[in-house]
Amino acid sequence: MLNYVWIALIVLGILVAVGNDVRDEIVNPYANGVPIQGRLEGWEEGGLAMRSWEGMLVIPAAVFHEVYGAGREEDVRVRVRIAGGSGGTITLPVTPEMPEIWKTRAARGQNADRLSGTVRSLDAKSGSVTFVFEPIRFVKLRAVVKAALDYAATAVTIALGLIGIMALWLGVMKVAEEAGAVRLLTKLLGPITRRLFPEVPPDHPAVGAMIMNISANLLGLSNAATPFGLKAMEELNKLNPKAGTATNAMCTFLAINTSGLVLIPATAIAVRVAAGSANPGVIIGTSIFGAGCATIAGILAVKLLQRMPRFRKDDPDNERKDASLG
Amino acid sequence: MPPLGDFFRSVIEIISIVAIPLILLLFLGWGMVRKVKVYEVFVEGAKDGFTVAVRIIPYLVAMLMAIGVFRASGALDVLSSVIAPLTNFIGMPAEALPMAFMRPLSGSGSLGIMTELMKVHGPDSFIGVLVSTMYGSTETTFYVLAVYFGAVNIRNTRHALPAGLIADVIGMLAAVVITRVYFGI
Repeated sequence: MLNYVWIALIVLGILVAVGNDVRDEIVNPYANGVPIQGRLEGWEEGGLAMRSWEGMLVIPAAVFHEVYGAGREEDVRVRVRIAGGSGGTITLPVTPEMPEIWKTRAARGQNADRLSGTVRSLDAKSGSVTFVFEPIRFVKLRAVVKAALDYAATAVTIALGLIGIMALWLGVMKVAEEAGAVRLLTKLLGPITRRLFPEVPPDHPAVGAMIMNISANLLGLSNAATPFGLKAMEELNKLNPKAGTATNAMCTFLAINTSGLVLIPATAIAVRVAAGSANPGVIIGTSIFGAGCATIAGILAVKLLQRMPRFRKDDPDNERKDASLG
Repeated sequence: MPPLGDFFRSVIEIISIVAIPLILLLFLGWGMVRKVKVYEVFVEGAKDGFTVAVRIIPYLVAMLMAIGVFRASGALDVLSSVIAPLTNFIGMPAEALPMAFMRPLSGSGSLGIMTELMKVHGPDSFIGVLVSTMYGSTETTFYVLAVYFGAVNIRNTRHALPAGLIADVIGMLAAVVITRVYFGI
């Protein structure tokens, strides 16, 4: 199943990106290739005697409206730099006063801090100028490529960032194990864990790690929860007769984990406080209800799905039974 | 029930500050009492940290890359507009749909959507309470699967993903129901 969902995310992503870019090509929201006419304020004849000219570019509201179809009351006045006269280049540094569409254009172009284009004609006498911007193409496809590379790098950052926390909590866990604290927890919660994980011997170290993980999650200590959870997976994997395939116990453990039951949803509350909520804590109750439903649904789903033929046929524990029978 | 909310909030703060030192003290102290060679045993356990973290990398790269492509493409908007009529029917506003899709995929992504929607609609509006409840009602399923299975080199994840996604859907629906109950609609 993960295979299909994984490929679906990628294929759907690329297809939608292509679709969006093709639509942009037809609708031309950035007015690619449409010449814009304006006037250079303070232009004097022979202004290009030096290699470049800097000053203000004024585009009448009517012209702007015609090009972009967006209503605009005032003329557009922006700073500009022109080099090389007709056939030369025109550069507009991005400023806060710039029309929104130009800011978007810059953000999606090659350089986020400026717009550039080609001067089609420049009247040396009046300073009337006609230019076209560099076309903006494949906005979404470029974003997709960038995201793929960025996220791959993020994955490594996240994983490496785990090293320290992992080491810390695994160390604590080991001490707790040797001291017998984990065994005590395991014994206390035995009646529950035996029902949830019938495949796991009740005094197995995996049970202790799972309990620690779930408790840390409940308390919202996600930093500690991950190391305990990974430790639990390692212990569960020691009971796994078939390397590379998930056991029923692992799937049940993850179903509980991905439902994210937390006694206090601290992140969401923090965001609510920042947004100026009069009652940020109100979501405590609603979140416990939501996550509680999710947890129950997840456990029921995992127990039902593991009986389905298509998931049953890969069950590692089945194979062990077969082997002992044969 | 504002006083109750405030009470819980101060409890959170106390827990989040006190819990970790308390756990450290309890476990390490217990070890000391039971005559465990705490330092040596700690180091022995901590050794695994590096290998586990490094083992996760390929799984996390594969998963995050796919999620990144999906997010950047604008597929979320397309999907939301396709599903919107269905969710309108059950009383879930279309604005909250991207949240429902993003929550299992990306923690930072759904955090962004939640913050944005609260800014637009206000944190105490129906949508504001709904999205924050949705955020608290489930976990980033895909990330958890990649990390946890990656740590033990599990490639055939069997029914873990469908079960996780069923839990997500139920969590989102439960969030809608309870928020509607809270607002009396």
